[in-house]
Amino acid sequence: MTFSPLLDQLIQGLRCLPGVGPKSAQRMAFHLLERDRDGGKHLADALLQALEHVGHCRLCRTFSEDELCLLCRHQGRELHKLCIVETPADLLAIEQTGTYRGRYFVLLGHLSPLDGIGPEDIGLPALQQRITQEAIQEIILAMSTTVEGEATAHYITEMIKGVKTSISRIAHGIPLGGDLEYIDSRTLAHAFESRLLLSSSSVAE
Amino acid sequence: MMQAMQACFVLHTRDYRDSSLLVDLFTCDQGIMRVIANGAKRPRSPMRGVLQPFLPLLAHWSGKGELQTLRGAEIHGTPYYLQGATLLSCFYLNELLVRLLHHYDPHPGLFRAYHQTLAFLQNKQHSAADKEGRLRLFEKVLLQEIGYALQLDQEAHSGSAILADCNYRFSPEIGLVLQAQRPSQDLARWVFSGKSLLALHQSELDDADCLRDAKRLMRLALAPLLGDKPMRSRELFVVG
Repeated sequence: MTFSPLLDQLIQGLRCLPGVGPKSAQRMAFHLLERDRDGGKHLADALLQALEHVGHCRLCRTFSEDELCLLCRHQGRELHKLCIVETPADLLAIEQTGTYRGRYFVLLGHLSPLDGIGPEDIGLPALQQRITQEAIQEIILAMSTTVEGEATAHYITEMIKGVKTSISRIAHGIPLGGDLEYIDSRTLAHAFESRLLLSSSSVAE
Repeated sequence: MMQAMQACFVLHTRDYRDSSLLVDLFTCDQGIMRVIANGAKRPRSPMRGVLQPFLPLLAHWSGKGELQTLRGAEIHGTPYYLQGATLLSCFYLNELLVRLLHHYDPHPGLFRAYHQTLAFLQNKQHSAADKEGRLRLFEKVLLQEIGYALQLDQEAHSGSAILADCNYRFSPEIGLVLQAQRPSQDLARWVFSGKSLLALHQSELDDADCLRDAKRLMRLALAPLLGDKPMRSRELFVVG
């Protein structure tokens, strides 16, 4: 039973969001109409503006309304470090740690042959060009710990083999505050394989 | 009804809704099948990190109809650590299986071959050439299992034995035909030495020529089955 085609349209529209089913879409629509019409207008305006103007940064491929994003334009960033991530969300996660001051390259995906996603689809030609043109001394691969992430990291390493830079990838290991007994065996095995040397005085002495 | 845990491998996963996955499994008893893993992407899901390709798993599922629901999965045996080029080869195996097998068409022999091939590939002591040979042998088993076995020891027309010092032309629907004269330029890629054919027949690809010929033969034999769409995992090998 429908009493307002416009309301139906709004509910239907909200369902394009991830995690929003018919019931939540209905709740959101009623909330906007009953209690927060200003908020709704603001949302509609922001949506329109963002969809119209936000594209990708020419250098790092993250979302940006200008040709270069704020991070790439920032004067204080270390120009000789480049961190390669899969998604803009990964970039934000690293930014929040506050430990990295270099710049980024966002692949917007990972290699996945079975989905038909190849090197061109994740901007690797552009990455190669950027690495050969800029004086980058260190490349940090921050891929997810899936086989696709691993394959992507391998491909990039092979691709830039001739270039004079150091390449590292972020460590895989035990989460902080984690009890060993509850950690899955593969993570634990990985943590063992890439353990850190604390002191190396020889046993024989 | 709950059934017993079955040996399987994940071939591919794709995101489904917010926190679930659609998983293509290669199972021992039912061949390739697709299951849905509810909540598998949630931070505390026990299936997180388990539903990854190339891990030997035990899993059980239930449901009516084509799309079953995965009820549980755990790693069975030592997990493989695949890295670098080996990992790309393994993607190639998965792409072959996904492209060439029908769902719910069991191939226990192929499942065993897949398992053994993964185990062989992950062993760091094996050379790149040995690993490549192993991929060719897997392709050979795969063709056998899906009903396109290559008759590598018999001439197609006469039925006489393949001789090491003769040349033979491969023709996809007929088999290997004796090629007496020197082949023309555009025909040359279809012609193979008896020596290479016998080596592949006996699964002994130790010499570089035989290995190269086996690769060429397998490509020609697989091409009509794979159709026009290129194999994406092959593209990843062309680097630099």
